[in-house]
Amino acid sequence: MSDAPLVFTPRPADPPPPSTIGVVGWMRANLFSSLPNAILTFLGGYIFYVVVTTIIDWALVKAVWEAENRRQCLDLVGRSGACWPGVVEWIPNLIYGLYPKDQVWRINIGFLILLAWAVPLWLPRVKSKVAIGLSLVLLYPLLASYFFHGGAQGVVWTALIALGGAAFLWVWLTTLAEMRFGLGFGALVARLAGAADDERARRIGWGALAALYVLALLVVSQLRFVEVPTRVWGGLFLTLVISGIGIAFSLPAGVLLALGRRSQMPLIRVFCVTFIELFRSVPLITILFMFNTMLPLFLPAGVEVNRLLRAIVAVCLFASAYMAEIVRGGLQAIPKGQYEAAAAMGLGFWQSTSLIILPQALRIMIPSIVGNFIGLFKDTTLVSIIGLFDLLSMSRAVGEDTRWLGLFIEPFFFITMIYFVFCFLMSQYSLNLERRLGEGQRR
Amino acid sequence: MSPPGKAAIQLIGVSKWYGGFQALKGLDLTVAEGERVVVCGPSGSGKSTMIRCINQLERHQKGDIRIHGRALCGEPKQDAPVLRETGMVFQSFNLFPHMTVLENCTFALTWVKQMPQAEAEGIAMAHLERVRIPEQARKYPLQLSGGQQQRVAIARALCMAPRIMLFDEPTSALDPEMIKEVLDVMVELAGTGMTMVVVTHEMGFARTVANRVVFMDQGEIVEQAAPEVFFSAPRYDRTRLFLSQIL
Ligand SMILES: Nc1ncnc2c1ncn2[C@@H]1O[C@H](COP(=O)(O)OP(=O)(O)O)[C@@H](O)[C@H]1O
Ligand SMILES: [Mg+2]
Repeated sequence: MSDAPLVFTPRPADPPPPSTIGVVGWMRANLFSSLPNAILTFLGGYIFYVVVTTIIDWALVKAVWEAENRRQCLDLVGRSGACWPGVVEWIPNLIYGLYPKDQVWRINIGFLILLAWAVPLWLPRVKSKVAIGLSLVLLYPLLASYFFHGGAQGVVWTALIALGGAAFLWVWLTTLAEMRFGLGFGALVARLAGAADDERARRIGWGALAALYVLALLVVSQLRFVEVPTRVWGGLFLTLVISGIGIAFSLPAGVLLALGRRSQMPLIRVFCVTFIELFRSVPLITILFMFNTMLPLFLPAGVEVNRLLRAIVAVCLFASAYMAEIVRGGLQAIPKGQYEAAAAMGLGFWQSTSLIILPQALRIMIPSIVGNFIGLFKDTTLVSIIGLFDLLSMSRAVGEDTRWLGLFIEPFFFITMIYFVFCFLMSQYSLNLERRLGEGQRR
Repeated sequence: MSPPGKAAIQLIGVSKWYGGFQALKGLDLTVAEGERVVVCGPSGSGKSTMIRCINQLERHQKGDIRIHGRALCGEPKQDAPVLRETGMVFQSFNLFPHMTVLENCTFALTWVKQMPQAEAEGIAMAHLERVRIPEQARKYPLQLSGGQQQRVAIARALCMAPRIMLFDEPTSALDPEMIKEVLDVMVELAGTGMTMVVVTHEMGFARTVANRVVFMDQGEIVEQAAPEVFFSAPRYDRTRLFLSQIL
């Protein structure tokens, strides 16, 4: 027996057997692991092949691309090929509804501004992303209403629109300042002005913002667009307006409702529970009808709320109630210890909720939130029932055009593609977001 | 037994009920400034409840709690400055998983104390060095081992410059290999004269560090004594039984 201990040397690791890795290994494990599995694989592959070739045959191979009217299409290929000229001719209407052709550029500019407003959120070195995101949700609609609706504004509206304009200017000035100098817009101006102390710097920063506002006010009060009443809004544009507002409104409203539902204060809790349960137990279509036909009964005579606004309010309230339940689920998944740690470090309710709890809860809720957004986007098709010309109703109008009488399938196919692209992009973005936010935080 | 020096924590007849169940039965306890008290007792005896009442994670219904002579009134706004003198370390660490280790530490400094970012990071790094993990500052908590996470939690609490540190079973969730690294940090902290109340069953730690050991059962303090007395000559049968089970 010797005193020296044995020396433990770990064995080197072996590679996995080749038949279990790579394409072959994957196919073996997933497609052909057993006889029934192999049969299902072939059957599934066959069905997939038949469906895809049939669609391609109809939509591309046998399709007609040039014709004056539907008659010509039918004479050429009958019903075996798609008749696209009708759809192509109607594309402007499918996208912009009956919006005056010479004003359509306003919609385009409006959406370009939306994109430009959102771009800084993806740029590196931009620190004010939260403020930019908030301004996008809260202030962009003001500016958009100016472009989309136009017409004469009262003093209040002019002031609000200018606020939207000033916010847009601020977003880009701050983005550039932060990317170039690492300082926000206000701080940069203060630095350039040679502010001596923090107090002065703050005052100069606010002064710079005020100057932006005055500038925006000047522009807004000088530029006047022709009024385009919401009656003629339609198509994809209208769908995006309704769902965009619904999405932007429902998330913050849902968070507040969910917090209210967990509140210690009975009055708030009862209000939130009632609201959520009421709106969740009624179909959206009923709510749309209610708002459309009954809201005027509650308003004093002479007060006219336009049809679009009624639909938007209905969609917003409905979506908020659903969002509230999703958020509540997310909040429940956060362990109590997180609240306690925050409280033990001296954070108040709003601080711990907004900085500790919600960021974690929202991250795990991303799939359901985006799922809800997608549902909302598709649900807006219901507004066609109360006489709004959204994408779906516009597509039906094609087949009622005298030259394209009966052309229904092709426009449906086309808008299906549009809906698919939007929803698919949303869902892909959510997966991507989930992956990025989850970095380093896997349990 | 009245400890010397000024009182850091005073519990006077503190009672706490969960529904109809009384978890604390009129506790009296005084912890002097700089004193290190270890609290032990069987599971469910009210140790956590007591320590959580001290920093008001749980509100007691009867009796008085004073921190450095100032009574807690139950109004979050008024109690906040008093409670800021206490720091807490939990059994399950409770780090914020969506923030890096450094952010976990600077977070409360910038939001509660309104400190500039650079200054907060300086303080945080100093404390991370103190618990010997400055190199992990940019990682996320869940990328660290349990022992490392608990040391971050200690650094995080220390960043707020508390005068009293409360520990609720800081090593119970750890693998045996990691207990020592956390206890070492706590021993070092004890050397700085920090007032500490530690709920733990690490009797080695109690022997070397504690000025006093408090034994609780069924929501009451059964007995308390200096560690050498407590371990060698416990007065109650209940204490003896407990010690025989854990030693
Ligand atoms: N939130 C709570 N609700 C109801 N009972 C609780 C709650 N927290 C603790 N208790 C009860 O109070 C008693 C003391 O618990 P605790 O202080 O956690 O004991 P210890 O930390 O000593 O194990 C236990 O019987 C426990 O079941
Ligand atoms: Mg406990």
